Amino acid sequence: MRRTIATLTAFAMLSTPTLSAAQSMAEANVKLIEAYDTVKVSTIPDGIYLRTVNDPDDIIWERLPEYRVAMSPAPAVHESVELRVNYDAEVSYLNMTLAKTSERFYVRLRWVDDTRDTATAFDRFRDGVAVQFSLGDDETSYMMGDGPDSAVNIWYWRSGEDAVQNLAAGGPGSTTLLEEQPVSGESQYFDKDGDPNEWTVVMSRPIKAQGAHNVSLDRDVVPMAFALWQGAEKQRDGLKSVSEGWIMLDMASE
Amino acid sequence: MAVKRQLSMVLDLNKCIGCHTCTSACKLQWTNRNGREYMYWNNVETRPGTGYPKNFHEMGGGFDQDGALRLGKEPSAEDYGVPWEYNYEEALMTGTDPWLRPNVKPTWGANWDEDEGEGHYPNSYYFYLPRLCNHCENPACLAACSRNAIYKRQEDGIVLIDQERCRGYRYCVSACPYKKVYFNEEISKSEKCIFCYPRIEKGLPTACAKQCVGRIRWIGYRDDKDGPIHTLVDKYKVALPLYPEMGTKPNVFYVPPLSPPKIDEAGGAMAESRVPLDYLESLFGDGVSAALDTITAERAKKAEGGESELMDTLIGYRHAEMFKLS
Repeated sequence: MRRTIATLTAFAMLSTPTLSAAQSMAEANVKLIEAYDTVKVSTIPDGIYLRTVNDPDDIIWERLPEYRVAMSPAPAVHESVELRVNYDAEVSYLNMTLAKTSERFYVRLRWVDDTRDTATAFDRFRDGVAVQFSLGDDETSYMMGDGPDSAVNIWYWRSGEDAVQNLAAGGPGSTTLLEEQPVSGESQYFDKDGDPNEWTVVMSRPIKAQGAHNVSLDRDVVPMAFALWQGAEKQRDGLKSVSEGWIMLDMASE
Repeated sequence: MAVKRQLSMVLDLNKCIGCHTCTSACKLQWTNRNGREYMYWNNVETRPGTGYPKNFHEMGGGFDQDGALRLGKEPSAEDYGVPWEYNYEEALMTGTDPWLRPNVKPTWGANWDEDEGEGHYPNSYYFYLPRLCNHCENPACLAACSRNAIYKRQEDGIVLIDQERCRGYRYCVSACPYKKVYFNEEISKSEKCIFCYPRIEKGLPTACAKQCVGRIRWIGYRDDKDGPIHTLVDKYKVALPLYPEMGTKPNVFYVPPLSPPKIDEAGGAMAESRVPLDYLESLFGDGVSAALDTITAERAKKAEGGESELMDTLIGYRHAEMFKLS
């Protein structure tokens, strides 16, 4: 369906004040979210559509509130990671926009990355980003769950392909590709003159879930966490930066 | 890592003629396709030399004295050598290209320094070192895998990568001090020598061992007191692991090469062997001298018409005695 100026204007009025595309990542009014804060998931009204299902550069995103979380090196849980991790790495930030329609849940992620690493090759690794949901409440370990009965659902995007992997884990080292692959995504790398280069990734999934390890989004509160991999720094596996604790998604807000 | 039984291999470097038939057999069986073209699960390198991949021994990996994993380097494509193909069809059949040429400029390959060796005439020397996965008792690849994707089979100690679990993190590639785990760029997973387990399960030796024209390889279970591995490794102690200081406890063993004496300026034989003992010890550790002494003594015994179980084993009269797979 084509959007008209009128619906766009109406939609803009419904939304909270937002950022323009020209504003940079360091913008102070992108609210910094801390562990266990609650974040409202914006509602995209029926009849408003992105240009494509996961368009990362759609004008809609400018009309929704954006938040950011601090990302620090994940604590090593394996000797191979311990040998390589740099705990002194600077804290980086991951910006996010959360939205839902009556049918789909969307997460848009944006972060600074000087280099676009899209190949898995000898001694080369890809950029990547993942969101993780607790299948239960915030008692589940935000470090990839703890055991089969306290598992997490992970959506993992890596550069060079826009297929988002739908995974489950019950603790580090147990990441498993799920049979159901309902998550889709799209990405764009912005090579900016003067400003830092950025990745923007949108992932989305129908709100209705199928399969035991697919997070139920049809509930009021969903705990969510984030992970980021910089290919240029040979990050993969537990070599990544992560947000601390769970961010509590308020799915019920209108 | 305790397993019920351990299959092992012994290679006699005195018998290796560097013909690469083992490598060809392995390649045709396993690695001439699907992203494995650059891989040599089995290779034969000239020693002294850079080895394959280039200078792999300087890339770290393995374990330190305390048994902790040591950081290793992942080789580059250039370290392995980028495989090239020739335009046979265009140059020789259709005539559409006047030149027979490789599709990439060859700058390095697995045997780029073949037969170079070291030293000056008449004391120049080299020998061949065939290498494959050592199916170690304490595999660094297995310890390095954060996914538990690498396992060692209980029934025969063969080390395998579960292709379902591997996610291509490549900690194993850098952790193996022998650089015998390879990354397949086509499937983004790591792969390695599987000790021809589908053949082993049918009672057949590995392709590299079966095809060896020099009959330099023995395969058997370490605990088989009547088998060749026990005879060569444990009874006579003439077969030694490569780079034992890396801490992985290999299950591939080498009979070090004897060599003629060095020749002095007057053309006389010197006390020192042509292949320096300290060089052999840098490869195979402290046991080299005793192993060479044992082989020399047993060889003399046999030459004088006496009995030598060790020499009879090393001669390898029958495949049935060289490959004891049950």
